[in-house]
Amino acid sequence: MSKLNQDELFRVVEYSADAAERIGYSNYSYWRSVWQNFLKKKSAVFMALVFIVLVVFSFIALRIGNYPNYAELVSSPTETFLTPNSQYWFGTDNIGRDYWCQVWFSAQVSIKLALVVAIGEAIVGVIIGCLWGYVRWLDRPLTELYNIINNIPTVIYLTLVAMIVGQSFTIMAVSIIATHWLVMARNVRNLVLMYRDREYNLASRCLGTPVWRVLSKNIFPYLISVVILRLALSIPGTISLESTLSYLGLGLGFETPSLGLLLRNARNFFLVYPHLLVFPAVIVSLITVTFYLVGNAVSDAADPRNHV
Amino acid sequence: MFKYTVKRLLQSVLTVLIIVTIVFLCMRALPTDFFFTEDQMMKLDDQQKEDILAKAGLLDPIPTQLFRYYGQVLSGDFGTSRRIQNGTSVLEIIGGKFTISMRLGLTSMAISLTLGILLGVLQARQKDRLMDHVGTVYTVFVNSVPPLVSYSLVLVFGSRVLGLPSLYSNKNIGMSSILPVVCLALTSIAHYALWTRRYMVDESTKDYIKLARIKGMSTQSIMVKHILKNAFVPLVQYIPASIILTFGGTLLVERFFSVPGMGTLMVDAIQRYDTEVVQTCVMIYAFLGIIGVFLGDLAMTLFDPRIKLAGGGETR
Repeated sequence: MSKLNQDELFRVVEYSADAAERIGYSNYSYWRSVWQNFLKKKSAVFMALVFIVLVVFSFIALRIGNYPNYAELVSSPTETFLTPNSQYWFGTDNIGRDYWCQVWFSAQVSIKLALVVAIGEAIVGVIIGCLWGYVRWLDRPLTELYNIINNIPTVIYLTLVAMIVGQSFTIMAVSIIATHWLVMARNVRNLVLMYRDREYNLASRCLGTPVWRVLSKNIFPYLISVVILRLALSIPGTISLESTLSYLGLGLGFETPSLGLLLRNARNFFLVYPHLLVFPAVIVSLITVTFYLVGNAVSDAADPRNHV
Repeated sequence: MFKYTVKRLLQSVLTVLIIVTIVFLCMRALPTDFFFTEDQMMKLDDQQKEDILAKAGLLDPIPTQLFRYYGQVLSGDFGTSRRIQNGTSVLEIIGGKFTISMRLGLTSMAISLTLGILLGVLQARQKDRLMDHVGTVYTVFVNSVPPLVSYSLVLVFGSRVLGLPSLYSNKNIGMSSILPVVCLALTSIAHYALWTRRYMVDESTKDYIKLARIKGMSTQSIMVKHILKNAFVPLVQYIPASIILTFGGTLLVERFFSVPGMGTLMVDAIQRYDTEVVQTCVMIYAFLGIIGVFLGDLAMTLFDPRIKLAGGGETR
């Protein structure tokens, strides 16, 4: 026995994900549980269907309309303010352009912008939020940065960006992401701070689990529901912000129509011609309301505390 | 307490200083072309433009400009406007707009606090029954429908059905303020209702409520004496901030109803390179924000004596 030295008695085990999982909950899959929990809520499933149908239809609608592309729209001075009829399904606006095409096109632009912003915000926010919460020395500088950025009204940034850089879809998306990641990062940071020093993470760290694995396997599942909730709020939020900015003339340029631009044009007329308000308002509200409700339901379903 | 207040005050002065500096630098990043009106842009040649800019001190090195501005503010001079109202002092312009925004803001706050908390209490009392569902539908609507759409609906209903004026005018302040105030209140009612309901529902599951019920207290007095009082504490923290922030006006409502208030002033000023107006506005916003948070903390200690601000070893 004494002849055996330290190296022969103990052997360093190679880290293997398989072996680590072997003692885990049998047959449990996180995403399957999320899916099952979500399906239990019939109203949310219905809302999700409405949302998907709307998004898909917004593409079909342009094809079956008179003008498949916004650039091809023609104005005709003789056909202004027509109410909906068999040729112009949503009527025409103040310079005689087809409203059907404008409404669906702007709905698409809004959805695209909201999705791009939501994804960008989630990626930047989660990464910075995790670092902010997990790396101790980063806490102070990032908190100060947060206080400063948070105290300057968002409108200033966006106005300045619109004036210095210009107005386009990409610029708009980037500048919204550049201010909105803060909220996500802050939420994530608070959660990471809560879970960072729990016993199971201490144990994990003692067993030599690498940091990225602690973050991705031990902490991230707790974040998913909060991240999804933020996204659910962020999409209606972005659509609102975009419409507000475009209404003020600070949003997308004139060549990309959006809800804000439509209503900005219609502001002086819709008291007399209500169809200019009703169609864009109903469609955009349906999109935001359904997404908001679906997001809330998914976020409930994604909370691991509600599983099993 | 005193030491804490002073420390916090100094910190806020530093924050405001940083913010003003950043905004100052951002404004200088704008091309100087915005300094001129379209008319001037066409008529003046380059040399004349240079002269005007040099006279306004805009061609000096940025640090010189910055320190000159600090000195100016310290001596209480916030400068004069160039483009919004030529030659009028910034404080005078802001003063006029401030009152308009404040009047609208305070009215809508008073309405939304009363109605919002009332709705929240009703929802919490009738949890999972009709009133609760009505309130939930309302909050979902307000939270998810873009404000531009809901304001348009208010406008159509207000002016077509009730015959109210659709634009704000100085001649008929009372009537023409109704729609803007309703729009402002629309969102904050939902906000207060949501949080009142949530805190009250949280509170009502606690043990001491059970005890009060066992003692034989009526639901009515449990609601008012215990639940509402306790649920009000977390809520009260945000009330001063939101009251104070209404002084700053809201961009969309003011633009939508053509209210000549604070909210639209800043965007106009940025677009016209009226740097001193922008800087003063930002300073005011930052101060209002900081004071709001501070008053909120104070209010919380007043409503709940267990909370102490100066307590050592606090974790954020």
